[in-house]
Amino acid sequence: MDLTIILLMILASVGGAVLYTLIGIAPGTDETAVLAPVTLAMILLGVSPYVVLAFFFSAIVAKKLTDSIPVAVAGIPGGVMAAPMVEHAMVLKEHGLPDVSIRKMASGSVIGTLVSLPLSLLVASLIIPYAETISKHAGLIFFLGAVFLALMASNKILSLLMILPFALLIQGLRQLYWETGIVPADTTVFVSFFLGITIGPVVFKLFELMNKDVRDKEYTEKEKDITFKRQQQYKGFPNPFKILTKQEIGTSAAGAGLGTLTFFLTPVGMTIFLGEALTRHIKDPVKRASRAISTMDGLTNASYISGTLIPLLAIGLPLSPMAIGPANALFNAPPVMTPENNFHHIMSMSEIMIAAVIGSAVAIVLTFYATIKYSNQICAFVFKRIPHEALIGLFAGLVVMLAFMDAGWVNIFGVLLVALISGLLHRFGVNYGVMFMVLYAAPWLMGVIG
Amino acid sequence: MEKERRYYDVWGDSVDLKDLLISIVLCITGTLGGYIIAPNEPPMPLVFGLAGGVIAFIACSVFIRPKRNVHAEEEDAS
Repeated sequence: MDLTIILLMILASVGGAVLYTLIGIAPGTDETAVLAPVTLAMILLGVSPYVVLAFFFSAIVAKKLTDSIPVAVAGIPGGVMAAPMVEHAMVLKEHGLPDVSIRKMASGSVIGTLVSLPLSLLVASLIIPYAETISKHAGLIFFLGAVFLALMASNKILSLLMILPFALLIQGLRQLYWETGIVPADTTVFVSFFLGITIGPVVFKLFELMNKDVRDKEYTEKEKDITFKRQQQYKGFPNPFKILTKQEIGTSAAGAGLGTLTFFLTPVGMTIFLGEALTRHIKDPVKRASRAISTMDGLTNASYISGTLIPLLAIGLPLSPMAIGPANALFNAPPVMTPENNFHHIMSMSEIMIAAVIGSAVAIVLTFYATIKYSNQICAFVFKRIPHEALIGLFAGLVVMLAFMDAGWVNIFGVLLVALISGLLHRFGVNYGVMFMVLYAAPWLMGVIG
Repeated sequence: MEKERRYYDVWGDSVDLKDLLISIVLCITGTLGGYIIAPNEPPMPLVFGLAGGVIAFIACSVFIRPKRNVHAEEEDAS
């Protein structure tokens, strides 16, 4: 690692931070959809792994810092991960405190990052001796994760009941593709199914709207009203430790710690569960809400960083929802990266840490500053200039392209099927987490039963 | 004057179905079209596909009006 590479890493981090600050604010953008294709493209283009990794860390930190901004200003989640925060952010918004929301969330994110970087290194070094055993039992671990999250879901019985049928659907499609020779026997279709689940609720809604009766019943003539308060400029350079109260720093850090330790579980589920559990005892609604959002943001940020970093440092297999989703390309991007020869094997532990620190630091400095200072301007731009239709369109376009890339024309319809079913399940109260876990556990599950 | 407008709530925001259809078709044409016409050596298809998607996205953003009424309230002294 020489000076040129370090300079390139910093440059790539700046690019990643700027790009994903904007993308993060756009409502509805999903981490996997916006991160995985870009990272994949960079790796396949032959960009140095050091630079890609710094870019990736900058991108996730920036994206996580900003995707809660639209929640605070308008009650619209800026991504799947921000959805659990809507309720609490609305409390603050009703009390006329959206700027407080933004500052607390962004500061929570920073705490999350600061806690999870060193803690991930620690956890990774504790895991290394067991790395082999863990990768041998990955299927079982994911299955237990699915059961655990099903018990946390709002519809527990359906969540438990759908584990097997959903695994059948996934493995059934894969088997069909292998059988018909659409994909070679050593290729497992993954990314497009993952995106199918993510886009499920939208697809389901659109299919519903194809029904004229539904269309005639559900429309509104009004446009979406968004009222946002123009806040006072924050003076001076923002300091997350001054923005948060001592208790908030404490729970954010605790949330981040737990998020790091549970890196192998799906972040959305953990955010909802731990975010509520850590703040349930607070009576005052405003205090409770601001504690909840800073904690949740700390937790999601930490679980994203640790979910990427720990498997990368310790195992070299994508053994966390984050690693297997948005960060998947770091582990498997044939022909450049394979599970036997990827970032884990190419880079030493300290090199991985340096890239992670450079990326996160650049994103914190740039995006945290921009978020606190210019959240108004950035939001106004996104709300007035970016139509929601274009975002859904772009997402649909990416999903269709990746479906085609994974397994040709047939898979576009395969992904549509996965999306429809997961959209329906999602509507009935099965959360994403359970479905993601099943997606990872499916091959193992079918092996045990079959 | 403009005839009755109908908006639907899809993924947490108001959309016009006709605009949405145009946008979806355009973006899929962009990504998939780019992917297919690209020279067949990795990573070119992916790069063309992403570029096609971005171009389609920008085109949609220019031609489609966001269905949001943004009011800015001045912050009171409180």
